[in-house]
Amino acid sequence: MSQKSARAQRSNVVRAQRAASLKPFYYGLVVVALIGIALIARSAQHSDASRPGIANVSLTPVKAQGHLLGNPNAPVQILEFADFECPHCGEFATITEPDVRKRIIDAGLASYRYFDFPLPHFENSVPASNAAACAGDQNKFWEMHDKLFQGQPDWSAEGNPKGVFESYAKSLGLDMKTWDACYDSQKHMPEINANREEGLRRHVESTPTFVIGTKQIPGAIPYDMFKAYVDTAAMEAGKVAAQDSTPAKGASAKP
Amino acid sequence: MTRSARMMIALLALVGALVALYLTLFKVGVIGELVCNLGSCERVNTSRWATFLGLPVAAWGLATYLVLLVLALVSVQRDDLERPIAWTLFLLSGWSVGFSAWLTSKELFVIHAICIWCVTSATIMTLIFFASLLELGRARRGEAANSPEAVPPQGVAGGSIRGDARG
Repeated sequence: MSQKSARAQRSNVVRAQRAASLKPFYYGLVVVALIGIALIARSAQHSDASRPGIANVSLTPVKAQGHLLGNPNAPVQILEFADFECPHCGEFATITEPDVRKRIIDAGLASYRYFDFPLPHFENSVPASNAAACAGDQNKFWEMHDKLFQGQPDWSAEGNPKGVFESYAKSLGLDMKTWDACYDSQKHMPEINANREEGLRRHVESTPTFVIGTKQIPGAIPYDMFKAYVDTAAMEAGKVAAQDSTPAKGASAKP
Repeated sequence: MTRSARMMIALLALVGALVALYLTLFKVGVIGELVCNLGSCERVNTSRWATFLGLPVAAWGLATYLVLLVLALVSVQRDDLERPIAWTLFLLSGWSVGFSAWLTSKELFVIHAICIWCVTSATIMTLIFFASLLELGRARRGEAANSPEAVPPQGVAGGSIRGDARG
């Protein structure tokens, strides 16, 4: 046997011995990886199970609460339950909502109501709802709504976000004395709580959640899907209106 | 500190990768809610500091842990690459410990909330850093050549081959 081949053989044996001695270590790593992946999968499943799906809801008209946008007598009612500090709500408000407003609300296809649904783990949600409601006193709720969502990263981590909210109020040209007094008095808290209660009554569990006609849809859905729900709701509303009018005609035909 | 330190780094990197994977899946929306009995994980992970260079910080963490895991596994197998790998482990984990410390300071002093998973990850990275520091010191001292776990000298190995050949 040549010296070269002997060295190669030696090297192979050492490598094989080492691989054999490392087997328990590799098995241990695989076990740890499998346990970890199983725990993560379980957590994801649990999370999915606790996430509400698309649910049928009644056609009962909504009481005049929340913050209205558009024609209240539009054929379809859209409700949004959202949290000003929730990133997915911010994503919807800044990316999808401009299209919804322009192509659905402004076109008169639907009305839109925003309901505060402050989540407990977001500490600045309620102050943000308060800031928006106070802007609403001066007919600038939606302008403040947009500012809050667009500037979400600027105030969401603040210990006291009032300074940022004040800068938004100023930029909207609000009467600062009135807005400031309103903000400090928290006079809109009963309405904010009522909006949240409405969400709880409807079993809203995550934000944003939309009610479009008879469907309750969780998640920041894209525009096309949103429009499809509005179209379906408009068709359903049309059928209900037709059914309502049919018996009346039948009754009048009777002698 | 010999091969066992590298094995420990590999194990820690694997656990760290699993933690980072969990946080990444939350960040991209696959997991809707984090298990967080201590602190406020969602508040931290939805803050502006949860994103770095356009990607979730957790995803950066996942990539870093995977690189550390691969390096540690290679170093367990290959003594000839010990020194460059020891340096890479040391530099990468050192940078990551610094980044983790910066993030933890944001949690404490800016966000005013603590994410227990982030703290766990920072602790794991710190342990990896210390293990890599020891490993680097050993590599620099050239202990590898005298280590009983290193490739045996020719004469000894030759005896081993003969023994194996007979078996």
